[in-house]
Amino acid sequence: MDPYSAEGELINIHNHFHQGQYQDVVDFDISALSSENALPARVLQLRARLALGQADGVLAEVQSENEPELEAIAALAEQALGNQEAAVKAIEQLAQESGDNATVQVVGGIVLQAAGKSDEALALLSQHSGNLDAVSLIVQIHLQQNRNDLAIKEVAAARRWAQDNLLVNLAESWVGLRLGGEKYQQAFYVFEELAQAPATSSVRSLVSQAVAELHLGRTEEAQAALDEAFKKEPTFAEAIANLLVLSVVNGNYSKELTSNLEKVDAQHPFLVDLAEKSELFDKAATKYKAKVAA
Amino acid sequence: MQASSGMLTKFESKSSRAKGIAFHPKRPWILVSLHSSTIQLWDYRMGTLIDRFEEHDGPVRGVDFHKTQPLFVSGGDDYKIKVWSLQTRRCLFTLNGHLDYIRTVFFHHELPWIVSASDDQTIRIWNWQNRSLLCTMTGHNHYAMCAQFHPRDDLVVSASLDQSVRVWDISGLRKKHSAPTSMSFEDQVARANANQTDMFGNTDAVVKFVLEGHDRGVNWVAFHPTMPLIVSAGDDRLIKLWRMSETKAWEVDTCRGHFQNASGCLFHPHQDLILSAGEDKTIRVWDLNKRTAVNSFKRENDRFWVIAAHPEINLFAAGHDNGVMVFKLERERPASAIHQNMLFHITKEKLVKSYDFQKNVESPTLLSLKKLGSPWVPPRTLSYNPAERSVLVTSSADGGSYELISLPRDGSGAIEPTESKRGQGNSAIFVTRNRFAILNTANQTVDIKDLTNNTTRSFKPPVGTTDIYFGGTGNLLIITPTAVHLYDIQQKKTTAELTVAGVKYVVWSNDNLYAALLSKHNVTIVTKSLEQVSTLHETIRIKSAAWDDAGVLLYSTLNHIKYTLLNGDNGIVRTLDQTVYLVRVKGRSVYCLDRAAKPKVLVIDPTEYRFKLALVKRNYEEMLHIIQNSSLVGQSIISYLQKKGYPEIALQFVQDPTTRFELAIECGNLEVAVEMAKQLDRPKLWTRLSAEALAHGNHGIVEMAYQKLKQFDKLSFLYLTTGDHTKLTRMTKIAEHRGDFTARFQNALYLGEVEDRIQMFKEIDLYPLAYLTAKSHGLEEECQSILEATGLTEDQLTLPQLGEPLVLPKAIVPTYKANWPTKTTSVSFFEKALLGQVEGLSSEDEPAAAANGFGLEDAGEDDAAAKRNGALIDVDEDEDAAGWDLGEDIVPEVEEGFVNVQSADAGGAGISEAELWARNSPLAVDHVAGGSFETAMQLLNRQVGAVNFAPLKPRFLEVYQASKTYLPASAGLPPLINYIRRNIDESDPRKVLPIIPRDLEYLASNDLQRGYDSMKANKLEDGLKVFKGILHAVLINAVGSDSEVTEAKKLITSASEYAIAMAIELSRRKLGAPDAVNKNPQLLKRSLELSAYFTIPKIEVPHRQLALLNAMNLAMRSKNYNSALSFANRILANGGASKILESARKTKTQCERNPHDTIEIEFDQFAEFEVCAASHTPIYSGTSYEECAFDGSKYHTKYKGTVCVVCEVCEVGKHGSGLKLFA
Repeated sequence: MDPYSAEGELINIHNHFHQGQYQDVVDFDISALSSENALPARVLQLRARLALGQADGVLAEVQSENEPELEAIAALAEQALGNQEAAVKAIEQLAQESGDNATVQVVGGIVLQAAGKSDEALALLSQHSGNLDAVSLIVQIHLQQNRNDLAIKEVAAARRWAQDNLLVNLAESWVGLRLGGEKYQQAFYVFEELAQAPATSSVRSLVSQAVAELHLGRTEEAQAALDEAFKKEPTFAEAIANLLVLSVVNGNYSKELTSNLEKVDAQHPFLVDLAEKSELFDKAATKYKAKVAA
Repeated sequence: MQASSGMLTKFESKSSRAKGIAFHPKRPWILVSLHSSTIQLWDYRMGTLIDRFEEHDGPVRGVDFHKTQPLFVSGGDDYKIKVWSLQTRRCLFTLNGHLDYIRTVFFHHELPWIVSASDDQTIRIWNWQNRSLLCTMTGHNHYAMCAQFHPRDDLVVSASLDQSVRVWDISGLRKKHSAPTSMSFEDQVARANANQTDMFGNTDAVVKFVLEGHDRGVNWVAFHPTMPLIVSAGDDRLIKLWRMSETKAWEVDTCRGHFQNASGCLFHPHQDLILSAGEDKTIRVWDLNKRTAVNSFKRENDRFWVIAAHPEINLFAAGHDNGVMVFKLERERPASAIHQNMLFHITKEKLVKSYDFQKNVESPTLLSLKKLGSPWVPPRTLSYNPAERSVLVTSSADGGSYELISLPRDGSGAIEPTESKRGQGNSAIFVTRNRFAILNTANQTVDIKDLTNNTTRSFKPPVGTTDIYFGGTGNLLIITPTAVHLYDIQQKKTTAELTVAGVKYVVWSNDNLYAALLSKHNVTIVTKSLEQVSTLHETIRIKSAAWDDAGVLLYSTLNHIKYTLLNGDNGIVRTLDQTVYLVRVKGRSVYCLDRAAKPKVLVIDPTEYRFKLALVKRNYEEMLHIIQNSSLVGQSIISYLQKKGYPEIALQFVQDPTTRFELAIECGNLEVAVEMAKQLDRPKLWTRLSAEALAHGNHGIVEMAYQKLKQFDKLSFLYLTTGDHTKLTRMTKIAEHRGDFTARFQNALYLGEVEDRIQMFKEIDLYPLAYLTAKSHGLEEECQSILEATGLTEDQLTLPQLGEPLVLPKAIVPTYKANWPTKTTSVSFFEKALLGQVEGLSSEDEPAAAANGFGLEDAGEDDAAAKRNGALIDVDEDEDAAGWDLGEDIVPEVEEGFVNVQSADAGGAGISEAELWARNSPLAVDHVAGGSFETAMQLLNRQVGAVNFAPLKPRFLEVYQASKTYLPASAGLPPLINYIRRNIDESDPRKVLPIIPRDLEYLASNDLQRGYDSMKANKLEDGLKVFKGILHAVLINAVGSDSEVTEAKKLITSASEYAIAMAIELSRRKLGAPDAVNKNPQLLKRSLELSAYFTIPKIEVPHRQLALLNAMNLAMRSKNYNSALSFANRILANGGASKILESARKTKTQCERNPHDTIEIEFDQFAEFEVCAASHTPIYSGTSYEECAFDGSKYHTKYKGTVCVVCEVCEVGKHGSGLKLFA
């Protein structure tokens, strides 16, 4: 039986993880789980701790282990600590040896994608057999590559066998936000449902909700959702980034937010991209000049 | 009784005897029931048989269309009434009940009823919804020949061979079958008592009147559409008119004329006329009021059996022994003439009116022509003489007549002509100021007459002349059925002749250089010396034509307005709901007369033909203008351009990469072709590209194409011919790696590497060949080693005669370093213009600019070619790095290198939405939001001459920052980027557009107010910044409609005026502290001038008051009373805050005592001037100036080429295509 399915033991911890409630995952009591589910649960907990920024601790815990799952986690931790090359190397090794391991696929996919090796990540993930974590990752990678067509296909295929699963809903909403039109509203419903129920609410779903509102042109509601997110976690980079976007859209840009974001995550795509564009502007602008200097 | 003039037959069919006819109320359809049992459905406009219905047995005598439903009914000699569906073209059901032939069937105009008349002497009313018989009306004692409902009242009229006409009251039937609630019990009782039941106790339909007067059987009867009149036709050959009141009916009069049985009759739907048809083969028209014959039309052999009228249009149909004819009683083409901006036309009421095209007003009646010709015949043509202000009108009445009448100076109602000269003639036209020509077709003469109507000369036109038209000064165009003659009146001879059949109208172009000859289905364009320019054929009837000022002929058919260029290219301009007669084309307006002779203006989109015309005339500025300012895209225009041999222009329109590639190849634009080939990456395209590039001599591209195609042999040969040894060497290595020995051999041969060849032969065990090679090159050692290896001795071998060793072919010039002299591909004017290379396109003197443009083309040719080559070499090198420049040690990976390059190209990432924005929109702001800053700058540069972009950086980044959101997705991965749209309901990737922060509305309600506030608070530095910010924000913006564009323009102007005003005042303050300024007369003078100029920009009145107050006070202080007085006066004139007014009043009284200036300043309060934004000195009206294409600020001409100080972005005096804010 699929341990993640509705009747499975892991349903709750798994959902917590994907709803972004990482602390709940860490606090989850896994001692009572059956032996075959113990390792996947531990993997989830480790990944949650990584998401919470405890890479050192995780690395220390799994360094000496030799199950492929935990080795993959170790690579993920390495990457989180900035050892990109080592992590990729480890994953490439793991992919060779145990590419059929679900955890290796998922965690490996993350590591490779984060290292910019999308094709390899997709190659690894495509070996999955009915693993929704892998599906959602594939969808995300397709979206990152702007292959909306492939993402739609992937979601539609998953929808056929996994129906109303949380991950399918999430992935579909991601695609929806990209496609737009009526899909904005559908995506909004999914995020709102997650964000507004206390049992499932997390800073990530709140930010997601705000993003959907922003796309729908409802700036006030977006502001409210972001405020809520800030209450939960004031240093969540995505919340700051989106708040920045929102304030620009509203016409009141603030320098303070930018510096906030710089403090929290200097490598945030928003900042990197902006710096790049600023440079591009300066370069492009030099091509023009007036015929007569004033 | 008049002689029958030609009938205006619109359609004729051939069939057996037609017994029943019905017009479709909306479509151009007519139903014809035949004696042969068939019912035909014709399209009389196209002349095609749409369908045949053959379910009746024997003759079908009655048919009728339903007014609104897609139904028709028929009744025949099989006693059956059939109801048919027009949609399925099937019989829906049959109503049985009549016991003999059915003569007529008609639908009721609103109730679901059918009335039928039958030889069984009854008239029956049926309900076609529940398919039941409602009522049988008995009373006639011979065949009932015809029965019709009254068009409004509850009446039926019937005609019978019993010589009577009966009118029946069917109100009882309506009451019985309408909702019962409408009748109270009392009503029922009242009705029961009031109504006389007939002898059968039938109260539904009772005879109201019996009209007796015909001496023989009555064949047809009809109600008048509006008046209480009835007309009947009988075998006594009479048409009788009857009148009825509430209580009685009586015979009014009889129309005598048919000399055989009259079979049908009807009232004209719109005019006071009666039409009748008879077995004497005539159709006759009678005056309803005088009961006199108006006209008659006779057919040679066919007896008429039935006649019908179209309910709306001026059309009639008559059925006869051999089919049906559809005809008109009169021409509907209003007679008209044009002189300059005036149209003269004759209305339906026979009034001459004029219409002014410029003012779009119709004059009051100029003249009444009521007395001209017969009352029922409208005038045919009108010719206008502007010198004498007189008109020549012809009419076909009385066998053709003309009348020469002077128009009064101004019309004021129905004026009878005071003096007119008339005569016999079919056509009459003015040929000179004081001569006109009259054609008399009967005796075939043309008379030239003076204004007193005396014949000055006369001649015989060519045989069979039907019409004459103006043919240029001193000439006539004479029309015969088969040809048109150009006739010189002085020389009395034909100077030119053109064979064109059936010309009906001639339309001269506005410059009188060309004429369009219109026939029924052809338009022939000729020059003024009658040389044919072009001709075209239309399947639908051509009605009229008019020339555009640019020399495009617009013509109207029954349902379209079309255009044709002189070269014969034509197309549809718009569709028409109703037929109109074009009289003039001006810009987007087509003036025409409708059939009611009312002038109308139709709006058309002339873009397509203007574009084609510009193409023909090679007027590139115009084309460019059209391309940039209209949405002229679409497959048709592309294929048109391609067909006409302008692929390079078509290239500008196309997005689709495949088509772009085709076009690029066609016009030799290799850059684009390469770009598209890369995008599509199909072997076929690369093959074509390589062939094309080879033809051009552009071997850089050839090389790339071969690489893509992996055509190693060709590559090797290319390298050989270009003398590129290094690459040839590499080819050898690749061949080695691929294990392709033939290729290796070939390469070695090209390189002249004998050892390599020998080595290779040895590798593949071809020792004899290896030996031979070694031997022939004199490599004895090698020979020995081969012999040893094979264990043979030289003696055992028989060698053929050895020739000279191969001499290595060598390229004399290392051409690989640069392209061969490439085929010149002219960079078209368009490409340049669109790349923003041509400057001053829209400057005042366009021709000069054009000349410049072409000059540039020639001069720039070499340059451009060189640049292109340069670029290609770059490409070359890049390519090298990617797939070729591999070190020795990784040679084995060469193959993979190839594959990798390819797979990355084929798979790879898609296109982000941000890139789509730039593709979807021509607006700079959308390019900015998409991060495509270069193209945005290019656009701005082209639109408003933007050159200094640095001040726009904050706005660029602002728009860019607002374009994306960051969605947290899977843990450990960067957030997903999505793109915020301003059209949130749109999901079509070809239409999505980015959100724009600080849109127009926001700017107007926030920034602008802030600017006003700082003006009020005297914080001018802040204000200046705000207004410049507004300018920058509007420059990078988008709006949703054309009206908003106007608003945006207003905002720009306003912000610019404020920025100038504030800058003037700030520069005054910078002169120094008041004390210092007062001491220095130079500075003081300047200070006063600047304060005066501060009042000039068009800022809001309350703010202007502040400026005026400031200027007034300064002037006062410096004792410049005259200036102060003028400022005070202006303040008072503006009104507003009382405090300022008070102070102005005081100043005024003070100044009026001594209105003199102490310090002479350059400010003339009475002169009109604007302030130069850079120097802050006046630009008097009339002097030349330059301006900023974006904000409109004015400069002295010496500032041309500098950056505008107001917006700080654009170059002064650089004119672009104009800021685009709305696509």
